[in-house]
Amino acid sequence: MDPLGKDQEPQKKQPMVYICGDCHGENELKPRDPIRCRECGYRIMYKKRTKRLIVFDAR
Amino acid sequence: MSKSKIKYSSSKQFIEESRNELVLTEFEVLNAEATNFPGNHYGYDDTWTLEKFKKKLKINIIRIDNLEMEFDIIGVDPAVPNAFRRILLSDIPTMAFDRVFMFNNTSIIQDEVLAHRLGLIPLKADPRLFEFRREGDEEGTPEDTLEFELKVKCSWNPSRTKDHTNPEDLYRDFRVLTSHMKWIPLGGQKDLLNSDAVGPVYDDILIAKMRPGHELDIKLHALKGTGRDHAKFSPVATAFYRLLPQVKLLREVEGEAAERLQKCFSPGVIDLVDAPSGGGKKIAKVNDARYDICSRNVFRHEDLKEDTVKLTRARDHFIFYIESTGALPPEVLFVEAAKILSQKCRVFLDELKSGL
Amino acid sequence: MENRRLVVAREDEQDDRMKTFIFKGEGHTLGNALRTLILKNPDVIFCGYTIPHPSENKLHLRIETKEMSAVDALREGLEQLQSLSDHVLETFETAVSDFKSKQMEV
Repeated sequence: MDPLGKDQEPQKKQPMVYICGDCHGENELKPRDPIRCRECGYRIMYKKRTKRLIVFDAR
Repeated sequence: MSKSKIKYSSSKQFIEESRNELVLTEFEVLNAEATNFPGNHYGYDDTWTLEKFKKKLKINIIRIDNLEMEFDIIGVDPAVPNAFRRILLSDIPTMAFDRVFMFNNTSIIQDEVLAHRLGLIPLKADPRLFEFRREGDEEGTPEDTLEFELKVKCSWNPSRTKDHTNPEDLYRDFRVLTSHMKWIPLGGQKDLLNSDAVGPVYDDILIAKMRPGHELDIKLHALKGTGRDHAKFSPVATAFYRLLPQVKLLREVEGEAAERLQKCFSPGVIDLVDAPSGGGKKIAKVNDARYDICSRNVFRHEDLKEDTVKLTRARDHFIFYIESTGALPPEVLFVEAAKILSQKCRVFLDELKSGL
Repeated sequence: MENRRLVVAREDEQDDRMKTFIFKGEGHTLGNALRTLILKNPDVIFCGYTIPHPSENKLHLRIETKEMSAVDALREGLEQLQSLSDHVLETFETAVSDFKSKQMEV
C-alpha cells in the first residue's frame, strides 16, 4: 500500500501519540523529534492501534 | 472367496443370513455390501413400495435430553439414515456470528483469531424465524441479522492489596465471557423475539483473557447459514449411526473360560449365571449386546475363537445419535432433516414437471 | 435454462431408456439415496451416480432401463424418496410424542 505515507501525510504537523516500550507512558512525537520517551528515555516506541473500524469475516 | 470357517446348512440359510446380517470374523467383515435389489435373489421381492416400507419401518426412541438423543431406525437401507445424517451435518441452517466489526481490540489476541473464535460460538436463536442474507448485502435487515455488542474493559481491582497474587483478586473483567455479550434488537425484533431465546447457548464460554488497560469494543452480526458453507453453522456437534451388534453363544462356556469370555466384551454384554447342572459353576449368557463395541477380542483366545460365539450386526437396524449444539433440540433437528430431504425431491419433481 | 437445477447430459443420446441427469447443487446426500431407490425398480438395469469433480457442485446420475423411459424411472424414484422421507417424518413424530407422554407419566 503506502508504507512511506506519501499520499496521506499525517495531518500537518499534528503530533502522533506513541507508547513507550518500557514505561508504557504515552508520548506525543512530531516529525523529526528524537525518538525517545520523555519519562524514562527508552528508545523503543510503539504505535497505538488505529481508531478506524476494521471489519472481519468470522471464518 | 472368504476363508471363513462359518458353516451353513443350506444355501437358503446363507442367502437369508447375508441379507440380514453382517458377520464379524477374526480378520474380516462378511456381507458388507447390500445385495437386496430386484433380480439378485431368487424368491425375494426387493421392489420398493410405500406399503411395504410402512409395514417394515420402526422408530424407537431410547432417550431424549436437551442436547442429545438416541433412537433406533429399523427397516431401512443404509442410504436413508446416511442421507439424514448428512443433512443434519450440513444442510440444516442455524445462526452464527459471521461479520465482526472491530472498533477496538487491545487484548493480546489478534483481530482475525478473535473474529474466528467468535464465529464458532453456538447461538440459541431459532433459525426458522430468519431469512438468508442476500448476497452483496452488507447492511442487513431485521429479518436476516442478529446484532450483538461486546464491550469489555479490564481494570485493576480497587480493593486489591499487596498480598494478592490471584488474578481474580487483582483485576476486574479480566476474563471475557459470552455473558458479556449484549443483544441489540433491530427493528421489530424486540417484540418478535424473547430476549431469553436469543444469545449464546452457554454464558461461560471464554473468549479472551485481558489485563488492566486492555479493551474490546466489538459489534457482531449473526447471520443464517448452513454447515455446507462453514462448520460453525452446523446445528450438531455430531450426528452418527451404527448397526445393532448381536452376540450369539453357540455352546455352553463355563468356569474360568466364561469369565474370560465376559471380559472380551463391553460391560453388561455377557452375564455369568448359575449353571443349570448346579455345583456352583457359572456359565456365560448373553445379556444385551446393544452397547458392545464389537472389539472382536474373543478371537484372541484359541479356545474361544471357534464354534463358541458368533458376532454379527443387524443389517437394517440403525442406532442413530444426534448431539445438538443447542440452537434447536435434537428431536426438532431430525424433523427438519426429514423435511429438507422431502423438499429436495420436490424441487426436482417440479423441474421434471416443467419438462427437461 | 441457466437457472435450471436438473438437466440431461448428452442431449444427442437418442434412446429414451438411457439417460444421464445432472443435478446442480446436489451431492452424495441425494445421490446415494436416489440411486438405491431407483435400483429397487425391477425395470431398471443400471443406475449409478458420480460427482465428477469435488469442487464442482454437480451430481451425475445415470439410469438405464428395460422398457420404461429413464425420465419416468427418475420421477418414480424421486416420488418414492419423497414419500419415504414423509413417512419417516410422520413415524418419528409419533414416536417422539409417544415417548414424551410416557415420560410424563413417570
